[in-house]
Amino acid sequence: MTPVSSKQYADDVSLLMVLIDTNPLFWSSTTTPFSFSKFLSQVLSFLNSILLLNQLNQVVVIATGFNSCDYIYDSSLGHANQRAEALLQKLEEFVIKDEELNKEDSVDGIGSSLLSGSLSMALCYIQRVFRSGSLHPQPRILCLHGSQDGPGQYVAIMNSIFSAQRSMVPIDSCVIGSQHSAFLQQASYITGGVYLKPQQLDGMFQYLTTVFATDLHSRSFLQLPKPVGVDFRASCFCHKNTIDMGYICSVCLSIFCKHHKKCSTCG
Amino acid sequence: MPQVRIIAKNFMDMVASLPAIKLDRLYENAFICEAILRSLPPLAKKYVLQLLYIDAPVTASSLQEWVLVDGASKHRVAVDRLIQLRVFTETVDRKKEASYKLNSMFQMNLRKHIVHGGVLPREPMAANITVRLPSLEELDSYASQQWECFLLHLINSAEVEVTTKSISPSMMKVFQRGLLSQRDNEGPRLTESGFQFLLMDTNAQLWYIVREYISNSEDRGVDSADLISFLLELSFHVTGEAYNMNTLSDIQRTTVKDLADLGLIKLQQGRKDSWFIPTKLATNLSISLSDASSRKQGYVVVETNFRLYAYSTSKLHCEILRLFARVEYQLPNLIVGSITKENLYKAFSNGITADQASIILFLQQNAHPRVAERVPSVPENVTDQVRLWESDLNRVEMTPAHFFDDFPSRDVFEAACDFAREYSSLLWEDSKKMRLIVKTEIYAHMKDFLSHQK
Repeated sequence: MTPVSSKQYADDVSLLMVLIDTNPLFWSSTTTPFSFSKFLSQVLSFLNSILLLNQLNQVVVIATGFNSCDYIYDSSLGHANQRAEALLQKLEEFVIKDEELNKEDSVDGIGSSLLSGSLSMALCYIQRVFRSGSLHPQPRILCLHGSQDGPGQYVAIMNSIFSAQRSMVPIDSCVIGSQHSAFLQQASYITGGVYLKPQQLDGMFQYLTTVFATDLHSRSFLQLPKPVGVDFRASCFCHKNTIDMGYICSVCLSIFCKHHKKCSTCG
Repeated sequence: MPQVRIIAKNFMDMVASLPAIKLDRLYENAFICEAILRSLPPLAKKYVLQLLYIDAPVTASSLQEWVLVDGASKHRVAVDRLIQLRVFTETVDRKKEASYKLNSMFQMNLRKHIVHGGVLPREPMAANITVRLPSLEELDSYASQQWECFLLHLINSAEVEVTTKSISPSMMKVFQRGLLSQRDNEGPRLTESGFQFLLMDTNAQLWYIVREYISNSEDRGVDSADLISFLLELSFHVTGEAYNMNTLSDIQRTTVKDLADLGLIKLQQGRKDSWFIPTKLATNLSISLSDASSRKQGYVVVETNFRLYAYSTSKLHCEILRLFARVEYQLPNLIVGSITKENLYKAFSNGITADQASIILFLQQNAHPRVAERVPSVPENVTDQVRLWESDLNRVEMTPAHFFDDFPSRDVFEAACDFAREYSSLLWEDSKKMRLIVKTEIYAHMKDFLSHQK
């Protein structure tokens, strides 16, 4: 006998958390192949297409700034029309606020965005959805990231990755910068998401819809990009440098680049 | 029974069965494109999205390359569905290789949607014109009340003609078609599918009625494609907002009135304008049945001693229970009855079945939350007994048949037996006395065959 309430949501209902990199240092640098506005227009179309696919789909956008991060759009709150306007307005407010924070105290990691913060925010949101009731869409996280990794965030990011893995939330990553991101490679590898560094950024929308619009149910029978190689290097806890070889505390597994007599983490 | 089972599936099956010209015309409406896209299987949605900005036809083999081996069957289902709905047009070139292209109208509408975002079909009226809008709860209760009233009407008209609420008789006739049968000297009676219908859940019932309504539209001089597009458009309105009646065409206005009778829409009259407010029933219309999030709370408790307690104030629930159980007494919020052999026999003779479709499923689906948690929500001894009582009635099976004897020779008899066996219509044979019985269907063939033998 099957219980009546066994399955009331279709397989492809998804909750997509999109993390957008708004780091001004990245977007203003000359190596960036295309402008922020062009990028945004493609992402907006992508969000529209996700919401088009199913009336129960939900999209939440989190801006990953230089000093802070914040929710800038939640499709469950607003009306269907003026989606783009609402998002852009919130985004502008966010960017201004982010810039103000910068004047007060500058962060040591130059040129990296606060990915760990936005990942944790996304996971918090997902946890809230999980707890809201037995009926919930299938969540996944998509990182649209450009700026380079900040080794200082290593521990925080790894912690978010493991908690995503525990709650079975895949982290997809689409790297728009010129270099591969070791953090995101690991994130996608560990959580079973897709890691992609598009070759031609002009066709961003096509990449997004072809690869990242795939719901979790369909992923089991579609060809998706496979990881070529994952950079598993860790950062040391003492100087936040990325290292190939180092020392590990036998008790708490903290990583150090130099030999210490006493572990600074567990003592 | 089969006709009832099919309809429970999908509205889109009906759209797919429209003639090609009408279907192409439907795609001129952006909302229909959206609704159709949402109704597709997940893989098909993906294909549409991927091909949205590709203008050249894509060969079937390259489409196939996107799929892993495990997904081949899903791939075929998706592509078939797309072709059936004419979203894909298939062309076969000289080398017998098929290639697909998106329907250009469909493609254009979706592209527009993706660039501009969703739009509402019509603007809701400003709050200062409308006097007082009902709250969402009020609207919900209005919708379910109206729907119950309609169902009560259906049951009651089978017994006595009561006109409590004004449902236009012509509409009633449309809805009752297939559910009620009229004999010459008796009043109208519920047919087999009518009984099945009453035990289905609200969403399935709604589909059935809407389907009947659409298939009847041609008789009323309304184009079915127009009606479908209006109904789908309706499902994109926002529940609880008021929309001006002036924005509708004449045909749509009459449709709106019919739908108001069913509780899909609430009509309100202001000083100058009148407006309509879609209820949840209407906005859920384009959602397929699998997503039925509108499952209602159950109210029935069945005990092992065949007693049945229904915590309900609804007259409809009482009437439904009366279809297969003896209602013993009624308290303000409680109906007490028992499942008896006599009442079940009556139900079976009306065409209600014990199993999948009807009684047991109904009891399980409407189980009171307290008992719904238990693993068999209806006690096993009750379900078993109901099934046994049903099989009691089916002990003898009747098959119309013809009897042959006096065969001239054993050869002819054997040949006749083999012939009947080929059609798998041989019911009985007695080789000693050379007699056999076959089903009526092949009587004519049998006669032909025997006359050739002589």
